[in-house]
Amino acid sequence: MDIKFFEQLFESCFWALALKEVRQIFRNKQLLFLLTFPPTVQLCIFGFALSPDVRHLKLGIIDDSRTEISRELVAALTENQVFIAQTYPANPKALGEEVRRGKVDVGLIIPHDFQRTLKRGRPIEVQVLVDGVNAYTAGVASNYVNQIVNQYGYQLVARPQGANIVPQIVYLYNPGLISSWFFVPGVMGMLLTMVSVLASAVEVVKEKDAGTLEQLLMTPASVLEILLAKVAPLFFLLMGDVFLSLGVARFVFAMPFRGNLPLFLALSGLQIFIGISLGILLATVSRSKQQAILTSFFITLPMVILSGALAPIESMPPFFQTLSLFNPLRHYITIVRALMLKDVGVSVLWPQILALAIFAFVFMSFSSYRFRAQAQ
Amino acid sequence: MTSIAAHSSIADVAAQDLIIRVRGLRKKYGTLEAVQGIDFEVQQGEVFGIIGPDGAGKTTTFQILSGVMEATGGDIQVLGKAPRDARLGIGYLTQRFSLYLDLSLEENLRYSAGLREVPEDLFLERSRKYLKLMDLDKFPKRLAGQLSGGMKQKLALCCALIAQPKVLLLDEPTTGVDPVSRREFWDVLATLADEGVTMVVATPYLDEAERCDRIALIYGGQLQQIGTPDQLRAGLGLHRLEVRTEAIEDAERALTTPQGTDSSIIDVQTFGDRLDVLVKDIQTGEAQIRLLLDKSPLDGQPGSPVHISRTEPTLENVFVTHLRQQGSDPPFIPFPRIYPRENNQGEMAIYAQDLSKKFGDFQAVKDVDLEIHYGEIYGLLGANGAGKTTTIKMLCGLLERSAGAIILAGQTSNLRSAELRKRMGYMSQKFTLYDDLTILQNLEFYCGVYGVPRHARRAKIDWVLETCGLTGQENMLTGQLPGGWKQRVAFGASVMHEPKILFLDEPTSGVDPLARRQFWRLIEDFAHNGTAVLVTTHYLEEAEHCHQMSFMASGETVAKGSPSQIKAQQPGQLIEVGLAETQVASNLLKTKFDPWRVSIFADYLHVVLDRPDQQISELKSILQAAAIEIRSIRTIPFSLEDAFIGTISRALESQTGGAP
Repeated sequence: MDIKFFEQLFESCFWALALKEVRQIFRNKQLLFLLTFPPTVQLCIFGFALSPDVRHLKLGIIDDSRTEISRELVAALTENQVFIAQTYPANPKALGEEVRRGKVDVGLIIPHDFQRTLKRGRPIEVQVLVDGVNAYTAGVASNYVNQIVNQYGYQLVARPQGANIVPQIVYLYNPGLISSWFFVPGVMGMLLTMVSVLASAVEVVKEKDAGTLEQLLMTPASVLEILLAKVAPLFFLLMGDVFLSLGVARFVFAMPFRGNLPLFLALSGLQIFIGISLGILLATVSRSKQQAILTSFFITLPMVILSGALAPIESMPPFFQTLSLFNPLRHYITIVRALMLKDVGVSVLWPQILALAIFAFVFMSFSSYRFRAQAQ
Repeated sequence: MTSIAAHSSIADVAAQDLIIRVRGLRKKYGTLEAVQGIDFEVQQGEVFGIIGPDGAGKTTTFQILSGVMEATGGDIQVLGKAPRDARLGIGYLTQRFSLYLDLSLEENLRYSAGLREVPEDLFLERSRKYLKLMDLDKFPKRLAGQLSGGMKQKLALCCALIAQPKVLLLDEPTTGVDPVSRREFWDVLATLADEGVTMVVATPYLDEAERCDRIALIYGGQLQQIGTPDQLRAGLGLHRLEVRTEAIEDAERALTTPQGTDSSIIDVQTFGDRLDVLVKDIQTGEAQIRLLLDKSPLDGQPGSPVHISRTEPTLENVFVTHLRQQGSDPPFIPFPRIYPRENNQGEMAIYAQDLSKKFGDFQAVKDVDLEIHYGEIYGLLGANGAGKTTTIKMLCGLLERSAGAIILAGQTSNLRSAELRKRMGYMSQKFTLYDDLTILQNLEFYCGVYGVPRHARRAKIDWVLETCGLTGQENMLTGQLPGGWKQRVAFGASVMHEPKILFLDEPTSGVDPLARRQFWRLIEDFAHNGTAVLVTTHYLEEAEHCHQMSFMASGETVAKGSPSQIKAQQPGQLIEVGLAETQVASNLLKTKFDPWRVSIFADYLHVVLDRPDQQISELKSILQAAAIEIRSIRTIPFSLEDAFIGTISRALESQTGGAP
């Protein structure tokens, strides 16, 4: 490591290539924008907007009972803002119509003998109409109604039969069950992958588009040098994105970082490497920038959906759960969540790390093979 | 402005005949004023030529006339409206082919027609007519990307014509188009002009400019001269003496050594195998030339014959003289070499035998043999799509060959090694600079990637900048340079590492006449220093600089040898006929003789005759019958361009029917 090394480096083809790439990148305002602005904004949007909590459901009520107890039931439903009493239709038919038109999400019919029957200690049925069009909301809404009505029922009637088993749940790692803590790591992984695939595909295909690739291939630079010089500056820029998203996670969402930072950075580097390899592969099959961009969406979107970034893997059909094992992003997101929220290390994460390493090796080998084949 | 044309005569023309009126046109790009107030008018049915060096503001003028760009100042009217509002009446052909290469001929036409809302029946009628006129009607289903350069440009013209515009704006339509196709293209333009289409054409080929009704010479954003070709030539006030000798370089040196102010010789210009000497007085001029040539020995061959013929200046003479007077002749600066000259003269640099390339069923190159020694300039000439670029790409390893053997710098295998590449330079047809880097950054990049030692880089980069006249502008983005200037920088970038083998694929395409001369001085300088140069060009007159050459047609070599050998191989006798109506006469004679025998060269016709004794009188009587006055008629030696047109046309003729 002396001056001689640097002299040789500055004289080398690789230095000239890398310097050229850096200069092109810094003149490319669009790319710099792509690398900074959308990740920040999207991270915020996804973090805030994506929330599985269903609130403010519109409730239509027919209270035929018109008693204190029935009003208490309605109050129980609406007090924590899960439901909002929206309308009071005259009859079940009108209520059905309102559900059909989407004016209310849930319709509740309290029968006229509600109070009387309860007072006698007999079970009573209330009818609940749920708009099932949005299956997810419908499921959550009916669960809420069930829970709230049941709890209300328990309060009213002291249960004679034995002691209930009341679970005392302790939520570890995310004690407040803040859903953004689930989403932010997922979105981080998603954005990193999308940006790295897109940026590298565009950077590589640009040369082909402009016809300069041919000239480049006529120089003494080897194909590997050309490729490496393209990848290296991008790699550092994308690592900048990792810090950017960590910053957003920390300062916007107040997320903790409990794991080992160097390990996290190393593995993020691996994921970026995978993204870049995919981008290069894309560039070799595309003829123009537009084609590369469009194709990148075909690849990154399924990757995101099958990664557990936005919805838990456990909620997918078994086939897709298995398929997702072949998705590097799934492993990376698992790693990000584990490292940010729990302080676990290689001993726990080794299967994911191994998977990422294998993907990186396979993708890079294949895409550099394709790039060379195409160059000749 | 030194306007020769009588402006009053234009003012007399009735206003409705004025198709284009430009008054005080200005355009600024930031602080750079590309066009600094020009005025001109174009009348109905006129072919108006715009000539000028690279970066003169020609393309800017076209973009404003077509309504693509707004002028910074001035009053511009096309068809009596602002250009933007007149767009439906304007057809615009840009420098680069404005076609969709992945659509077929028919689809391209239909798209253009659809954009301009041409009704179906008119579309069918016109597409049939124009495709036939352009000789493209045989393969309407072929993809535009598979057409040769000349055909693409004709198709682009078809697309522009489909809406039957009243005005055609043609910005260097024949750049990169071979001499045969170029003439066909202009024949089409002449037909259109006869139909009353008004045209404004820019061209770097000054022999084409002679076919315009009027010409404007633009330089430095200003209109320098305007008038008919005759007026421009007469305005020079000089005579031209064609000097032909074996030792042309010695003769040039002898004639350009400064004489006194009373010297009759004003300018000496090299045109291929002859010198054009412009003199004030034809008698004393000729005497002075003879005296000068007698005094200095020509190439050590005493008594080497010198032929001098007296003629009048061409438009190219006007152009070159004018720009030289402006002091815009690019300088020749010796290249700063760091490696000692190798003693390799006579060794083989590039060797190819039976080189062939097939793309699927299409035989792009067939059995091409090449032998190029160090210090030799080898010209690979041919029509568009003849396989020149494919051959070069195979030679430099960018394309796998289907068959044949290649030896590069003594190596038979591993032709892609870095060691070999360091000794090679390559300049491809497309601009190969990075538009998003500055000129300096581009040059630094190519220095670095070719491993030019750091201490030598500054000198090399300075050389390129000075040679290109870009000193002080090195921090300009390359994308902002006009085409011809980019080409110069690209050439510089490809030779900074002192290659021993240099491939140049149409290096001078789109470069102005003065800069082309500079290019060739540089190429010759490299050859003198032992570099083997393989070059393609569509400017046949500059191909005279080649030591050896071959003509290619449809992938095969059809002629081979030194320029003089090739000219000697030509059958028949070449007759130059001076007449006013070259286009009419050419159309007429093509019906009486084989079409390849007749071609337009500036304001002359060149006719190849097998039995000149009898045929000259036949020719005269044909022209007299059509009431075309013959200004002069004489036998001249074949130029390379004549040889090229003849050889290629005959080769293609013998292949017709077999065309893919």
